[in-house]
Amino acid sequence: MGRPYGLLRAGFPFHKTLSMRRTTNFPIDIAIGKEGRIYIMCRSDGTAMIRKYTVDDEDRGTMGGYGQGDGQFTWPVTIIPDSEENLYVSDEFLHRIVAFNSEGEHIGTWGEHGTEPGQLNGPAGIAFDSEENLYVVDSLSHRVQKFTKDGKFLFGWGSYGDGEGEFNMPWGVAVDELGDVYVVDWRNDRVQKFNADGEFLFAFGKSGSGNGEFNRPAGIDIDLHGDVYIADRGNDRIQLFNAEGGYVQKFLGDATLSKVSQAYMMTNASPNRMRDMADLEPQKYLRQPKSVAVSDDGLMFVPDFGSYRVQVYQKQAVPLTEQEFSPPRRSVTLHQE
Amino acid sequence: MSQNDVALMAHLMRRAGFGTTRTELEAYVEKGYENVVDDLVHPERGTPIDEDILERYFGSEGGYVGTWIYRMLNSRCPLQEKMALFWHHVFATGLGKNQHILASTNQIDMLRRVGMGKMRDILLELSKDPAMIFWLDNNENRKGEPNENYGRELLELFSLGVGNYTEDDIKNCALAFTGWTFGQPIPLYPHGYYAPPFLFVEEEHDNSEKTFLGHTGNLNGDDIINIIVEQPACARFISRHLYNFFVADEPQVPSWNVTPPQDPDAIETLANAFIASDGDISHVLGILFNADFFKEAQFKKVKSPTELATGILKLIGTFQSGPEPGMNQYASATQLMGQKLLDPPTVEGWHTGKEWIDGGLLTARVNFAVREVSDASKPGIQSIIVRLKDNGNPLSPEAFVESCLEFAGPLLIGDTTRQYLTEFAEANGEINFEDDDAAEENQALLVSMLQLIVASREYQFG
Repeated sequence: MGRPYGLLRAGFPFHKTLSMRRTTNFPIDIAIGKEGRIYIMCRSDGTAMIRKYTVDDEDRGTMGGYGQGDGQFTWPVTIIPDSEENLYVSDEFLHRIVAFNSEGEHIGTWGEHGTEPGQLNGPAGIAFDSEENLYVVDSLSHRVQKFTKDGKFLFGWGSYGDGEGEFNMPWGVAVDELGDVYVVDWRNDRVQKFNADGEFLFAFGKSGSGNGEFNRPAGIDIDLHGDVYIADRGNDRIQLFNAEGGYVQKFLGDATLSKVSQAYMMTNASPNRMRDMADLEPQKYLRQPKSVAVSDDGLMFVPDFGSYRVQVYQKQAVPLTEQEFSPPRRSVTLHQE
Repeated sequence: MSQNDVALMAHLMRRAGFGTTRTELEAYVEKGYENVVDDLVHPERGTPIDEDILERYFGSEGGYVGTWIYRMLNSRCPLQEKMALFWHHVFATGLGKNQHILASTNQIDMLRRVGMGKMRDILLELSKDPAMIFWLDNNENRKGEPNENYGRELLELFSLGVGNYTEDDIKNCALAFTGWTFGQPIPLYPHGYYAPPFLFVEEEHDNSEKTFLGHTGNLNGDDIINIIVEQPACARFISRHLYNFFVADEPQVPSWNVTPPQDPDAIETLANAFIASDGDISHVLGILFNADFFKEAQFKKVKSPTELATGILKLIGTFQSGPEPGMNQYASATQLMGQKLLDPPTVEGWHTGKEWIDGGLLTARVNFAVREVSDASKPGIQSIIVRLKDNGNPLSPEAFVESCLEFAGPLLIGDTTRQYLTEFAEANGEINFEDDDAAEENQALLVSMLQLIVASREYQFG
């Protein structure tokens, strides 16, 4: 499917809340599988696991675990699926990529710590291109490197700084359907866009809390329309941009009690009373979201890091043809047609 | 750079901070004692710890104590962190009762933020702190049905000390704080902690006339605090707390009304500074650290478990080049040594001094220290090896002992300990740290010597 000429943005309503504390403590990322399967990466000090889950709020057990052995991770950051639903996890402490099949069997580990080309130093964001080569954000070396999915180094770019093509501890990375690469430049509070060869195209965002501004942005995803979603962690929100980097809207959180949460509450009288005494307004908001993932059918999954859950929104948009969408305007107008 | 200067600076940084690496210590000595004190009491001059990095790599409140220890090791404003620990001792609030980690950690953050300011502001923030309000039941202190717990402890343990107020003062103090409560937080399950906000409930506040320490009127909690900080007893009480924490071990707080201070002149000096500065804690600390009674108090205090642990970690140089996993093991370690941060045993806080030590606790302290220095690859130990190479080789057993004591402190030890250390060194003869063929063996000897030093009686004192 090619990128549409334009979009009629009908809405982006809140869809549902998934999971709860204990099941998904400190969810740092999420991978979308097939047939309603999702994989929630959880990380806190001394604990890490992948929680297998479904979009129907069903717990299917765990994969991996905290540690330094095969099939373990210490500081996992990003989890992504390949076309066969194998899962790739970056570990920024062990400086490696760990892979599992969808059943949780460890199928590979690669990565050597260092700062030379092809070595890893705090890998954070990872993303496949259409040929399933892997872009890896090498955060502590302030660069992006490209590998085959089994770890053969192809090329890389970037260095420390705040100029074009320079980074300051970058975090997330995503590849759009055209092959262009977006990198979240964490400490520069911006997003940079490159072509597939790493040539700088443009950047957007600056430090702040206004629309289109960032406070230490982290994860990123891009949908089939080319829309760009950024986890603006320090501002406790997700921001949506169009493919040109233009700000579209933000998501602050609209959580309800998930199905499993409601089941829990139905058996706990005391918390029910406490909830009844509390101001419930804050419970709906996102808290320190560090990632975002969008499915092909427009479901936006936001691991709500500080609230141990996943908030899900549904994109409603209609592709527009040239006949349905007038050419870009240079200036704003008050004229109504 | 005289040995006395180095020893005095090490003393200052053990007390006003959490120890130093040797390199940091020498830089401080170059700067000069009074200048360093001046910087310490002005934390705004220092570079704040990188909160973005803490958030990125730690980022979950469950690991707060580990993160706090990381702050202790890495803060460029160590006295600010030490004062958060000091007030945590004084305003002891137990997580075991509230079970609300976010409320407890917010209290520590508050103590860090205001702990070097005016006593008036500190007590006001404390009185509005939800963890404290719950700890001492002020959420149940209402007009017509007062709960005096907070009012009593505010006077007895937090500001004046027994003997400086009457039972009627307690009752009226409690009435003044009626209605000071917090909003019910959303419960932990299913979606995590939410911070409780301070709440003043007008309809639960007693607006009647009250008399407190000779002042009469419709007194609110703010008025009570203003009256408290004007009392000479408050100046003396807080000064004695500061002396106990920073200078030398005093008896436990409950006995202070019957046991006079060991150095009344020092308390008087600090109390006068408190009064003259309108209760400015930073000013009092500046007077304290520059006083002879402080400079002469080297190794007169038993290290708290937190001080022991952070001192060891500073010595071996770990967790000082950016966040690493595993900080929470040190929360467990200090707990094993008798200090579970965020969860003091009672409202009196931890009993300090010799009460930090008994057979089991001493074993835990020694085991921790010996284990941590056992790895020769640690940067602090490698740094000592580099310095030993520069010291002139070969080293006689006596010179080896002296060098190790110097770089592990400097540490003052008694004759018996020195004899043991020297006997151990003599068993191995001269050591040549420039001999690369013996590098492994020499490293093992150094580790063993450091283990003996940190296991010594003297190392328990700071």
